Amino acid sequence: MGGRDQKIAKKLEKKIVKKGFPDVKISAEEGIVRLNGRVNLWSEVITIGYLAAKTKGVKGVINDVTAGEIERKGEEKKVTKRDVYDNVSLPKRADVVIVGGGVIGCFIAREISRYKLDVVLLEKESDVACGATKANSGMVHSGIGESSGTLKQKLNVKGNKMYDKVCEELNVPFERDGLLIVITTETLPPKVRKVLPPFISNFICEKIIPYVVFRKGKKAGIPLRPVKREELLEMEPNITDKAIVGVYSPTYGVVYPYEITIALAENAIQNGVKIALNTEVEDILVEDGKVKGVLTDRGTIESEYVINAAGIFADEVAEMAGAREFSIHPRKGSIIIFDKEMKGYINHSLSELILPQDPHTKGGGIFTTISGNPNWGPDAIEVSDKYDKSVTAEEIDTIFECGSLLPDFQKSSLITYFAGLRAATYEEDFFIKASENVLGFVNVAGIQSPGLAASPAIAEMVRGILREIGLKMGEKEEFNPIRRAIPKFSKLGIEEKKKLIKENPLYGNVICRCEHVTEGEVVDAIHRPLPATTVDAVKRRVRTGMGRCQGGFCGPKVARILARELNIPLEEVTKDGPGSNLFVGKTKSLLAEEA
Amino acid sequence: MIEVDVAIIGGGPAGLASAMKACEEGVKDILIIERGMELGGILLQCIHDGFGTFIFEETLTGPEYAQRYIDEVKKTGINVKLNTMVLEIDSAKRIIAVNQEDGLLEIEAKAIILSMGCRERTRAQILIPGDRPSGIYTAGVAQRYINIEGVIPGKKVVILGSGDIGMIMARRFTLEGAKVEGVYEVMSNPGGLTRNVVQCVEDYEIPLHLSHTITNIRGRRRVEGVTVAKVDSEMRPIKDTERFVPCDTVILSVGLIPENELSKSADVGMDPITNGPIVDEQMQTSVPGIFACGNVVHVHDLVDDVSKVAEVAGRGAAEYIDGKLKKRRSPIKVKAGRNVKYVVPQIIHGEKFDEDIRFYLRVKEIEKSVKTVVLADGERIFEKKIKIVKPPEMVKLDISPDILNRITGDELIIDVEGEEDEEKS
Repeated sequence: MGGRDQKIAKKLEKKIVKKGFPDVKISAEEGIVRLNGRVNLWSEVITIGYLAAKTKGVKGVINDVTAGEIERKGEEKKVTKRDVYDNVSLPKRADVVIVGGGVIGCFIAREISRYKLDVVLLEKESDVACGATKANSGMVHSGIGESSGTLKQKLNVKGNKMYDKVCEELNVPFERDGLLIVITTETLPPKVRKVLPPFISNFICEKIIPYVVFRKGKKAGIPLRPVKREELLEMEPNITDKAIVGVYSPTYGVVYPYEITIALAENAIQNGVKIALNTEVEDILVEDGKVKGVLTDRGTIESEYVINAAGIFADEVAEMAGAREFSIHPRKGSIIIFDKEMKGYINHSLSELILPQDPHTKGGGIFTTISGNPNWGPDAIEVSDKYDKSVTAEEIDTIFECGSLLPDFQKSSLITYFAGLRAATYEEDFFIKASENVLGFVNVAGIQSPGLAASPAIAEMVRGILREIGLKMGEKEEFNPIRRAIPKFSKLGIEEKKKLIKENPLYGNVICRCEHVTEGEVVDAIHRPLPATTVDAVKRRVRTGMGRCQGGFCGPKVARILARELNIPLEEVTKDGPGSNLFVGKTKSLLAEEA
Repeated sequence: MIEVDVAIIGGGPAGLASAMKACEEGVKDILIIERGMELGGILLQCIHDGFGTFIFEETLTGPEYAQRYIDEVKKTGINVKLNTMVLEIDSAKRIIAVNQEDGLLEIEAKAIILSMGCRERTRAQILIPGDRPSGIYTAGVAQRYINIEGVIPGKKVVILGSGDIGMIMARRFTLEGAKVEGVYEVMSNPGGLTRNVVQCVEDYEIPLHLSHTITNIRGRRRVEGVTVAKVDSEMRPIKDTERFVPCDTVILSVGLIPENELSKSADVGMDPITNGPIVDEQMQTSVPGIFACGNVVHVHDLVDDVSKVAEVAGRGAAEYIDGKLKKRRSPIKVKAGRNVKYVVPQIIHGEKFDEDIRFYLRVKEIEKSVKTVVLADGERIFEKKIKIVKPPEMVKLDISPDILNRITGDELIIDVEGEEDEEKS
């Protein structure tokens, strides 16, 4: 530890002891603080992490303090059948290896597929978009929710503007339905409301707060428009009487986060990127302070450039390289989805402004997916387990409170709920940097909301970093940015439907009663450049099982089609990869028949 | 554009019986549109027996019961389109359907019979918290996998809900060599027919835990177990009774929902209690010429009742296209009274009744030694004693024309009166 680092450690130790944790060991190097020890509760681990992050001079927090209450479950026992339906045999070497097939990894892969490079993307799951990417709101934020001056806000504002073009190129739906920030009688904290005369708090809500929000947007280059009560009621007739005024943010948009990720992966493959699914990184090979390659459970790839886009596991991958300057503490967010028959009840995304704002989440809101399903949430819960994607009864209750903006909303139209884990660091900002210690290793970490909105700008930034650290990038003339989408039968007009069925009769066989998905779409999904090999992978591509019956009708049909097209027995069909088989064996009568 | 007299949406028991009746009544051009590859609907996967005791006075399996109707339909000139999904119906009785052979079909019908049946309530709709791994199935889906696809969903099974399908699946899993850890029921009484409690659960020594529910599902890739708990009188889980039950499969038999997306697209008026269309005594919906029958109207316990009521709809449709549908007066609303959850039909409006009307009602709570009472304008026009009423067992009341013709007001109330009420009155 240098003198400066010693000073930081001492200062921090004082703070942590004062909070009642005398046993936590603290060291610092080049402004990166490392914490070790054991406390009772996970919430205490989180508190200690934030104490460190807020200490002056600290650039990064590696928090290895453990909690006595729950041990991390860790990875389940290794599944053996890793190479079952793989389309890519692992190459021996690559110019760039990307670790992680979420929206960030796939955006980077597509971005650098513009250049004459051998790129390999490694994903441990059986499909891309399996982590936080598949379990978020799909909101392309405008940036108004982020603190001024953060990397998050800068990349968010920039990324948002890039969405129209990229979605057009990839043929994925993107809608800018706008966000209404709603100021209500509960916006001011109860304490403030209690002491202020009503006319003053009213004045604050009606005039001052919208102005402050508007100013913040102007400073960051985010278009905003104050909305008076009459207009608010016109825009959202079902809104609560508590609503006073609003601020409209027209650049807010929504995508299917998994669909854009799959499209990016497909377009990257079209342009020469290799994507190896079911491939888990076990070590990053480093020699003389330089990256040499990646060791996976399916072999080694030599490479001098490795991009760490491992999401929730980014700290573990960084540790493998000896380039860890942060900790990821998973913060769970759950979302409730309602039936699309409630479409039209809400016209814009809605978010109630509650002061003071929680610095770690923009808080739950109400938004409508591209398909027209209203969604409520997400909440924000710190969890110790990186595999904990359970939705608790308490969370369901909390999210139902988001709906207080729409008091008469029919909650019984609920279809399902799910949870995702935000890859939060203690610094609460994106961590996008080439490692100073390990040449060729680039961390793209701490990408939580608004990561989806920022992702096009993040990919561009990473491209720039690669060039800065010496990667030669010659442009590829044959780069094709256009990706053809799977035809969506339910979205076509009568004549188009007729034409499509004539070309391929499988488009005349509707196998999903809720979303009107055809067999043609499912077969198409299975034979795409990035093949769908599981029930959930098919679901993400064509929406089978996303409707109100949750796969009751289409489930058996999709399983059969997968077995047929992949030429495997029905018992080997899985929900989302090895270990998630749908069935345990054949029935007695079928076995007898086969014998 | 195809033009037909009667189009029937769904070729399950309701669709088949209504088609036969319409045909018998002389309708020439009948079309059954079925999304499955065969006629018979859900009966095809119900390979257990117990069907047909009223209609055929013998006990048949589901496929056998269906086959009797299918054979009859085949003898007639009724047209059938299999593997055909109806995408939309409008209130002008135009249907858009699709299949592989014909492509997109546009059908115009003089009358339509809705017989789409019902679907199962899912895990999320009853708000079971926890993980979302593989191995969670609704009972009907599991039944399809075992009986049609020939695959077993799991080896160690916990079943939530003691509805009929739940209990039948407890037996079916056991017969396939799986271990059923228990059937858990949130209510204090079984949700299905008594005969299923005896034949499917007790006979196989499967534990039936009443007043219990699942409070959590755990498992990353595949189900690893569930937490179960006792519930209090308001059906809230009691925290300190929670225990973990290891299993690889969760089967949910937690209710059925009439499937009415098409009815709604045709602007048919709905009953929020049954989740089905509001129908009159001829099973006509609020849209003239659109009839409905079977589980799309409300969920029945016995297929025999479905067939019977489907005949009413079939005849109604025939009379509608002949212009002979009974003369109508302003509707008489039929209201659910004491301890009655709902009554079907919800309205009657014949001008003069010349035959019995059968009312189907479901009670809210178990009650012994009761009297069902029909009140018109405060007057008790009908009374019938019943030994016991239970929510899982539908009550049927046949009311004769001489009673019906005495109705003067515009409202009927059907009560189930307990012993105490009787003493008071």
